[in-house]
Amino acid sequence: MCDTCGCQLHEHHHHDAKVVEINQSLLAANQKQAESNRHHIEQMGAVAINLISSPGSGKTTLLERTIEALKDTVRIGVIEGDIETERDADRIRAKGVPAVQLTTGGACHLDAPIVHGGLHVLEHLAKGGKYDLIFIENVGNLVCPATFDLGEHQRVILLSVPEGSDKPAKYPATFRSADLLLITKTDLLPYFDFSMDEALNEARILKPGLDIISLSATTGDCFEPWLKYLRGLLKG
Amino acid sequence: MHELSLAQSLIEQLLDLAKEHQAERITRVAVTLGPFSGIVRDSFEFGFNALKASQEVTREAVLELETPDPVYTCLDCSKVAVIPFAMESDRLELARYGPTAKKCPWCCSNRLSPKGGTELILNQVEME
Repeated sequence: MCDTCGCQLHEHHHHDAKVVEINQSLLAANQKQAESNRHHIEQMGAVAINLISSPGSGKTTLLERTIEALKDTVRIGVIEGDIETERDADRIRAKGVPAVQLTTGGACHLDAPIVHGGLHVLEHLAKGGKYDLIFIENVGNLVCPATFDLGEHQRVILLSVPEGSDKPAKYPATFRSADLLLITKTDLLPYFDFSMDEALNEARILKPGLDIISLSATTGDCFEPWLKYLRGLLKG
Repeated sequence: MHELSLAQSLIEQLLDLAKEHQAERITRVAVTLGPFSGIVRDSFEFGFNALKASQEVTREAVLELETPDPVYTCLDCSKVAVIPFAMESDRLELARYGPTAKKCPWCCSNRLSPKGGTELILNQVEME
Protein backbone atom coordinates (compact mmCIF):
# COMPACT_ATOMS: atom_id res chain seq x y z
CA MET A 1 0.00 0.00 0.00
CA CYS A 2 1.17 3.53 -0.76
CA ASP A 3 2.27 5.35 2.43
CA THR A 4 1.32 8.75 1.08
CA CYS A 5 -2.26 8.29 -0.06
CA GLY A 6 -3.18 4.77 1.02
CA CYS A 7 -3.94 3.49 -2.49
CA GLN A 8 -3.24 -0.10 -3.60
CA LEU A 9 -1.66 0.77 -6.91
CA HIS A 10 1.95 1.12 -5.93
CA GLU A 11 3.47 -0.13 -9.17
CA HIS A 12 1.64 2.42 -11.31
CA HIS A 13 1.21 5.31 -8.97
CA HIS A 14 4.16 7.45 -7.96
CA HIS A 15 4.31 10.70 -6.14
CA ASP A 16 6.77 13.12 -7.68
CA ALA A 17 7.80 10.53 -10.24
CA LYS A 18 10.13 11.82 -12.87
CA VAL A 19 10.95 10.14 -16.17
CA VAL A 20 14.41 10.82 -17.55
CA GLU A 21 15.31 10.00 -21.15
CA ILE A 22 18.81 8.54 -21.27
CA ASN A 23 19.31 6.84 -24.67
CA GLN A 24 22.85 5.88 -23.83
CA SER A 25 24.67 2.60 -24.33
CA LEU A 26 24.71 0.22 -21.37
CA LEU A 27 28.40 -0.10 -22.14
CA ALA A 28 29.00 3.66 -21.91
CA ALA A 29 31.47 3.41 -19.01
CA ASN A 30 33.49 0.67 -20.74
CA GLN A 31 33.32 2.55 -24.04
CA LYS A 32 34.66 5.74 -22.47
CA GLN A 33 37.59 3.85 -20.95
CA ALA A 34 38.20 2.05 -24.26
CA GLU A 35 38.47 5.38 -26.12
CA SER A 36 40.93 6.57 -23.50
CA ASN A 37 42.94 3.32 -23.86
CA ARG A 38 43.08 3.78 -27.64
CA HIS A 39 44.44 7.28 -27.15
CA HIS A 40 46.95 6.00 -24.57
CA ILE A 41 48.14 3.26 -26.96
CA GLU A 42 48.60 5.83 -29.73
CA GLN A 43 50.61 8.01 -27.33
CA MET A 44 52.84 4.98 -26.76
CA GLY A 45 53.37 4.96 -30.56
CA ALA A 46 51.57 1.67 -31.06
CA VAL A 47 48.61 -0.05 -32.66
CA ALA A 48 46.82 -2.69 -30.60
CA ILE A 49 45.26 -6.02 -31.53
CA ASN A 50 42.65 -7.80 -29.42
CA LEU A 51 43.01 -11.58 -29.91
CA ILE A 52 39.84 -13.55 -29.19
CA SER A 53 39.24 -17.31 -29.42
CA SER A 54 38.24 -20.38 -27.46
CA PRO A 55 40.75 -21.80 -24.98
CA GLY A 56 43.44 -23.84 -26.69
CA SER A 57 43.05 -22.51 -30.21
CA GLY A 58 46.65 -21.33 -30.32
CA LYS A 59 46.70 -17.64 -29.39
CA THR A 60 49.91 -17.85 -27.36
CA THR A 61 51.64 -20.13 -29.88
CA LEU A 62 50.71 -17.65 -32.61
CA LEU A 63 52.27 -14.86 -30.56
CA GLU A 64 55.46 -16.85 -29.89
CA ARG A 65 56.08 -17.40 -33.58
CA THR A 66 55.06 -13.83 -34.47
CA ILE A 67 57.51 -12.42 -31.92
CA GLU A 68 60.31 -14.65 -33.27
CA ALA A 69 59.66 -13.32 -36.76
CA LEU A 70 59.28 -9.63 -35.93
CA LYS A 71 61.13 -8.82 -32.73
CA ASP A 72 64.30 -7.54 -34.41
CA THR A 73 62.41 -4.89 -36.36
CA VAL A 74 59.18 -4.26 -34.40
CA ARG A 75 58.85 -3.27 -30.72
CA ILE A 76 56.22 -5.64 -29.36
CA GLY A 77 54.41 -5.63 -26.01
CA VAL A 78 51.87 -8.21 -24.83
CA ILE A 79 49.00 -8.04 -22.35
CA GLU A 80 47.85 -11.52 -21.37
CA GLY A 81 44.36 -12.12 -20.02
CA ASP A 82 43.58 -15.28 -18.07
CA ILE A 83 41.43 -16.29 -15.17
CA GLU A 84 44.47 -17.58 -13.28
CA THR A 85 48.28 -18.14 -13.58
CA GLU A 86 51.26 -16.28 -15.10
CA ARG A 87 51.94 -19.08 -17.58
CA ASP A 88 51.14 -17.26 -20.80
CA ALA A 89 53.09 -14.13 -19.79
CA ASP A 90 56.04 -16.36 -18.88
CA ARG A 91 55.97 -17.94 -22.34
CA ILE A 92 56.01 -14.47 -23.93
CA ARG A 93 58.80 -13.19 -21.65
CA ALA A 94 60.87 -16.21 -22.63
CA LYS A 95 60.81 -14.80 -26.18
CA GLY A 96 62.40 -11.60 -24.89
CA VAL A 97 59.53 -9.09 -25.09
CA PRO A 98 57.70 -7.27 -22.25
CA ALA A 99 54.54 -9.00 -21.05
CA VAL A 100 51.92 -8.18 -18.42
CA GLN A 101 49.68 -10.90 -17.04
CA LEU A 102 46.18 -9.79 -16.08
CA THR A 103 44.34 -12.38 -14.03
CA THR A 104 40.60 -11.77 -13.80
CA GLY A 105 40.09 -14.13 -10.86
CA GLY A 106 37.03 -15.64 -12.49
CA ALA A 107 35.68 -13.09 -14.96
CA CYS A 108 35.12 -14.58 -18.41
CA HIS A 109 36.45 -11.62 -20.42
CA LEU A 110 38.74 -8.60 -20.27
CA ASP A 111 37.18 -5.15 -20.07
CA ALA A 112 38.60 -1.70 -20.78
CA PRO A 113 39.33 -0.72 -17.14
CA ILE A 114 41.45 -3.83 -16.47
CA VAL A 115 43.38 -3.30 -19.72
CA HIS A 116 44.00 0.32 -18.69
CA GLY A 117 45.96 -0.96 -15.68
CA GLY A 118 47.89 -3.35 -17.94
CA LEU A 119 48.88 -0.55 -20.32
CA HIS A 120 50.48 1.42 -17.49
CA VAL A 121 52.57 -1.56 -16.45
CA LEU A 122 53.58 -2.20 -20.06
CA GLU A 123 54.64 1.43 -20.38
CA HIS A 124 57.02 0.98 -17.42
CA LEU A 125 58.56 -2.14 -18.92
CA ALA A 126 59.78 -0.50 -22.15
CA LYS A 127 62.64 1.91 -22.66
CA GLY A 128 60.97 5.31 -23.12
CA GLY A 129 57.58 3.61 -22.84
CA LYS A 130 57.34 3.15 -26.63
CA TYR A 131 56.00 0.24 -28.68
CA ASP A 132 55.01 -0.39 -32.29
CA LEU A 133 52.60 -3.26 -31.73
CA ILE A 134 50.65 -4.29 -28.64
CA PHE A 135 48.83 -7.60 -28.50
CA ILE A 136 46.05 -8.06 -25.98
CA GLU A 137 45.35 -11.77 -25.61
CA ASN A 138 41.82 -12.06 -24.23
CA VAL A 139 40.55 -14.75 -21.85
CA GLY A 140 39.93 -17.93 -23.88
CA ASN A 141 36.20 -17.67 -24.56
CA LEU A 142 34.27 -17.45 -27.83
CA VAL A 143 31.25 -15.69 -26.31
CA CYS A 144 31.73 -12.96 -23.70
CA PRO A 145 34.83 -11.02 -24.92
CA ALA A 146 33.00 -9.94 -28.10
CA THR A 147 30.87 -7.39 -26.20
CA PHE A 148 33.77 -5.40 -24.73
CA ASP A 149 35.86 -2.88 -26.65
CA LEU A 150 39.28 -2.76 -24.97
CA GLY A 151 40.64 0.17 -26.95
CA GLU A 152 42.12 -2.03 -29.68
CA HIS A 153 42.57 -0.92 -33.29
CA GLN A 154 41.97 -4.35 -34.77
CA ARG A 155 40.14 -7.41 -33.52
CA VAL A 156 41.46 -10.77 -34.64
CA ILE A 157 39.39 -13.92 -34.04
CA LEU A 158 41.13 -17.32 -34.13
CA LEU A 159 39.39 -20.54 -35.12
CA SER A 160 41.52 -23.67 -34.87
CA VAL A 161 40.97 -26.70 -37.06
CA PRO A 162 40.20 -29.14 -34.19
CA GLU A 163 37.33 -26.92 -33.01
CA GLY A 164 35.37 -27.59 -36.19
CA SER A 165 34.21 -25.51 -39.13
CA ASP A 166 30.72 -24.96 -37.68
CA LYS A 167 31.94 -22.45 -35.10
CA PRO A 168 31.27 -19.18 -37.01
CA ALA A 169 27.60 -20.13 -37.44
CA LYS A 170 27.34 -21.18 -33.78
CA TYR A 171 29.04 -18.11 -32.27
CA PRO A 172 27.85 -15.34 -34.62
CA ALA A 173 28.32 -12.29 -32.36
CA THR A 174 32.04 -12.99 -31.96
CA PHE A 175 32.81 -13.75 -35.61
CA ARG A 176 30.74 -10.79 -36.74
CA SER A 177 32.90 -8.45 -34.65
CA ALA A 178 36.14 -9.61 -36.34
CA ASP A 179 38.40 -7.42 -38.45
CA LEU A 180 40.38 -10.51 -39.41
CA LEU A 181 39.67 -14.22 -39.01
CA LEU A 182 42.67 -16.52 -38.57
CA ILE A 183 42.12 -20.22 -39.15
CA THR A 184 44.90 -21.83 -37.12
CA LYS A 185 46.47 -25.30 -36.83
CA THR A 186 46.07 -26.00 -40.55
CA ASP A 187 48.81 -28.66 -40.17
CA LEU A 188 46.06 -30.76 -38.53
CA LEU A 189 43.65 -30.58 -41.50
CA PRO A 190 44.43 -34.17 -42.62
CA TYR A 191 43.35 -35.52 -39.22
CA PHE A 192 40.11 -33.60 -38.61
CA ASP A 193 36.76 -33.38 -40.34
CA PHE A 194 37.08 -29.62 -40.98
CA SER A 195 35.44 -28.09 -44.03
CA MET A 196 37.36 -24.98 -45.08
CA ASP A 197 34.44 -24.05 -47.39
CA GLU A 198 31.94 -24.18 -44.56
CA ALA A 199 34.10 -22.04 -42.25
CA LEU A 200 34.85 -19.43 -44.94
CA ASN A 201 31.30 -19.25 -46.32
CA GLU A 202 29.58 -19.02 -42.97
CA ALA A 203 32.00 -16.43 -41.60
CA ARG A 204 31.43 -14.31 -44.71
CA ILE A 205 27.65 -14.63 -44.45
CA LEU A 206 27.95 -13.10 -40.97
CA LYS A 207 30.37 -10.47 -42.19
CA PRO A 208 30.54 -10.06 -45.97
CA GLY A 209 34.05 -9.24 -47.20
CA LEU A 210 35.75 -10.43 -43.98
CA ASP A 211 39.50 -10.96 -44.40
CA ILE A 212 40.53 -14.53 -43.62
CA ILE A 213 44.01 -16.04 -43.35
CA SER A 214 44.69 -19.76 -42.77
CA LEU A 215 48.02 -20.71 -41.20
CA SER A 216 49.92 -23.02 -38.89
CA ALA A 217 51.94 -21.39 -36.11
CA THR A 218 53.56 -24.76 -35.35
CA THR A 219 55.03 -25.41 -38.80
CA GLY A 220 55.06 -21.78 -39.98
CA ASP A 221 53.04 -22.75 -43.03
CA CYS A 222 51.37 -19.69 -44.68
CA PHE A 223 52.64 -17.41 -41.92
CA GLU A 224 53.78 -14.67 -44.31
CA PRO A 225 50.29 -13.22 -45.08
CA TRP A 226 49.75 -12.75 -41.33
CA LEU A 227 53.09 -10.97 -40.94
CA LYS A 228 52.26 -8.82 -43.97
CA TYR A 229 48.93 -7.88 -42.39
CA LEU A 230 50.73 -6.87 -39.17
CA ARG A 231 53.38 -4.83 -41.00
CA GLY A 232 50.56 -3.06 -42.83
CA LEU A 233 49.13 -1.86 -39.51
CA LEU A 234 52.34 -0.27 -38.27
CA LYS A 235 52.64 3.48 -38.25
CA GLY A 236 55.24 5.26 -40.36
CA MET B 1 28.19 -14.96 -17.92
CA HIS B 2 29.04 -11.43 -19.07
CA GLU B 3 25.38 -10.52 -18.49
CA LEU B 4 26.22 -10.17 -14.81
CA SER B 5 28.98 -7.60 -15.47
CA LEU B 6 26.59 -5.71 -17.69
CA ALA B 7 23.84 -5.75 -15.05
CA GLN B 8 26.39 -4.53 -12.51
CA SER B 9 27.37 -1.61 -14.72
CA LEU B 10 23.69 -0.75 -15.24
CA ILE B 11 23.16 -0.62 -11.46
CA GLU B 12 26.17 1.72 -11.16
CA GLN B 13 24.78 3.91 -13.97
CA LEU B 14 21.43 4.07 -12.12
CA LEU B 15 23.06 5.06 -8.83
CA ASP B 16 24.85 7.91 -10.61
CA LEU B 17 21.63 9.03 -12.29
CA ALA B 18 19.71 9.00 -9.00
CA LYS B 19 22.40 11.14 -7.41
CA GLU B 20 22.47 13.52 -10.37
CA HIS B 21 18.68 14.02 -10.26
CA GLN B 22 18.49 13.95 -6.46
CA ALA B 23 16.07 11.04 -6.54
CA GLU B 24 15.59 8.69 -3.62
CA ARG B 25 14.75 5.64 -5.63
CA ILE B 26 14.55 4.28 -9.12
CA THR B 27 11.16 2.79 -9.95
CA ARG B 28 11.40 1.75 -13.60
CA VAL B 29 14.23 1.14 -16.06
CA ALA B 30 13.66 0.71 -19.80
CA VAL B 31 16.41 -1.11 -21.72
CA THR B 32 16.73 -2.32 -25.31
CA LEU B 33 18.79 -5.47 -25.97
CA GLY B 34 19.55 -5.92 -29.66
CA PRO B 35 18.86 -9.43 -31.03
CA PHE B 36 22.53 -9.84 -32.06
CA SER B 37 24.03 -8.16 -29.01
CA GLY B 38 25.19 -11.47 -27.59
CA ILE B 39 23.32 -10.74 -24.36
CA VAL B 40 20.89 -13.36 -23.11
CA ARG B 41 17.71 -11.69 -21.94
CA ASP B 42 16.91 -14.11 -19.10
CA SER B 43 20.45 -14.05 -17.69
CA PHE B 44 20.56 -10.25 -17.81
CA GLU B 45 17.19 -9.98 -16.07
CA PHE B 46 18.25 -12.52 -13.45
CA GLY B 47 21.51 -10.64 -12.82
CA PHE B 48 19.77 -7.28 -12.56
CA ASN B 49 17.14 -8.53 -10.12
CA ALA B 50 19.77 -10.24 -7.98
CA LEU B 51 21.99 -7.14 -7.85
CA LYS B 52 19.33 -4.45 -7.44
CA ALA B 53 18.47 -5.73 -3.96
CA SER B 54 21.90 -4.76 -2.67
CA GLN B 55 21.12 -1.03 -3.01
CA GLU B 56 18.37 0.95 -1.33
CA VAL B 57 18.01 3.18 -4.41
CA THR B 58 17.47 0.35 -6.89
CA ARG B 59 15.66 -2.19 -4.66
CA GLU B 60 12.23 -1.48 -6.19
CA ALA B 61 13.33 -0.88 -9.75
CA VAL B 62 11.28 -2.73 -12.34
CA LEU B 63 13.27 -3.70 -15.43
CA GLU B 64 11.42 -3.33 -18.74
CA LEU B 65 13.29 -5.12 -21.49
CA GLU B 66 12.62 -4.59 -25.13
CA THR B 67 14.15 -7.09 -27.56
CA PRO B 68 13.50 -6.16 -31.19
CA ASP B 69 13.12 -8.98 -33.75
CA PRO B 70 16.26 -9.84 -35.71
CA VAL B 71 16.65 -8.28 -39.16
CA TYR B 72 18.65 -9.91 -41.99
CA THR B 73 19.87 -8.86 -45.40
CA CYS B 74 19.71 -11.61 -48.01
CA LEU B 75 23.10 -11.85 -49.71
CA ASP B 76 21.48 -13.25 -52.87
CA CYS B 77 18.49 -10.96 -53.56
CA SER B 78 19.56 -8.04 -51.28
CA LYS B 79 16.10 -7.80 -49.71
CA VAL B 80 15.71 -7.17 -46.00
CA ALA B 81 13.72 -9.61 -43.89
CA VAL B 82 12.55 -9.66 -40.28
CA ILE B 83 12.66 -13.24 -39.01
CA PRO B 84 11.76 -13.70 -35.32
CA PHE B 85 13.76 -16.18 -33.24
CA ALA B 86 12.00 -19.44 -32.34
CA MET B 87 9.87 -18.93 -29.24
CA GLU B 88 9.99 -21.04 -26.10
CA SER B 89 6.54 -22.38 -27.03
CA ASP B 90 7.82 -23.60 -30.42
CA ARG B 91 10.44 -25.89 -28.89
CA LEU B 92 8.25 -28.97 -28.62
CA GLU B 93 7.31 -28.58 -32.28
CA LEU B 94 10.98 -28.15 -33.23
CA ALA B 95 11.90 -31.28 -31.31
CA ARG B 96 9.10 -33.23 -33.03
CA TYR B 97 9.46 -32.11 -36.61
CA GLY B 98 13.06 -30.95 -36.71
CA PRO B 99 14.23 -27.40 -37.22
CA THR B 100 13.47 -25.62 -40.45
CA ALA B 101 16.44 -23.74 -41.81
CA LYS B 102 16.20 -19.95 -41.77
CA LYS B 103 15.44 -18.81 -45.33
CA CYS B 104 14.88 -15.59 -47.24
CA PRO B 105 11.08 -15.17 -47.57
CA TRP B 106 11.52 -13.83 -51.14
CA CYS B 107 14.15 -16.01 -52.82
CA CYS B 108 14.55 -18.92 -50.34
CA SER B 109 18.31 -18.41 -50.05
CA ASN B 110 19.84 -19.39 -46.72
CA ARG B 111 22.58 -16.78 -47.03
CA LEU B 112 21.04 -14.35 -44.57
CA SER B 113 23.41 -11.81 -43.05
CA PRO B 114 22.50 -10.21 -39.69
CA LYS B 115 21.78 -6.50 -40.04
CA GLY B 116 22.46 -4.18 -37.06
CA GLY B 117 20.93 -5.46 -33.83
CA THR B 118 24.03 -5.22 -31.64
CA GLU B 119 22.67 -2.32 -29.58
CA LEU B 120 22.48 -2.34 -25.77
CA ILE B 121 20.66 0.83 -24.75
CA LEU B 122 19.43 2.36 -21.55
CA ASN B 123 16.41 4.27 -22.88
CA GLN B 124 14.53 5.67 -19.95
CA VAL B 125 14.64 5.78 -16.17
CA GLU B 126 11.75 6.64 -13.87
CA MET B 127 12.68 7.88 -10.43
CA GLU B 128 11.16 9.68 -7.47
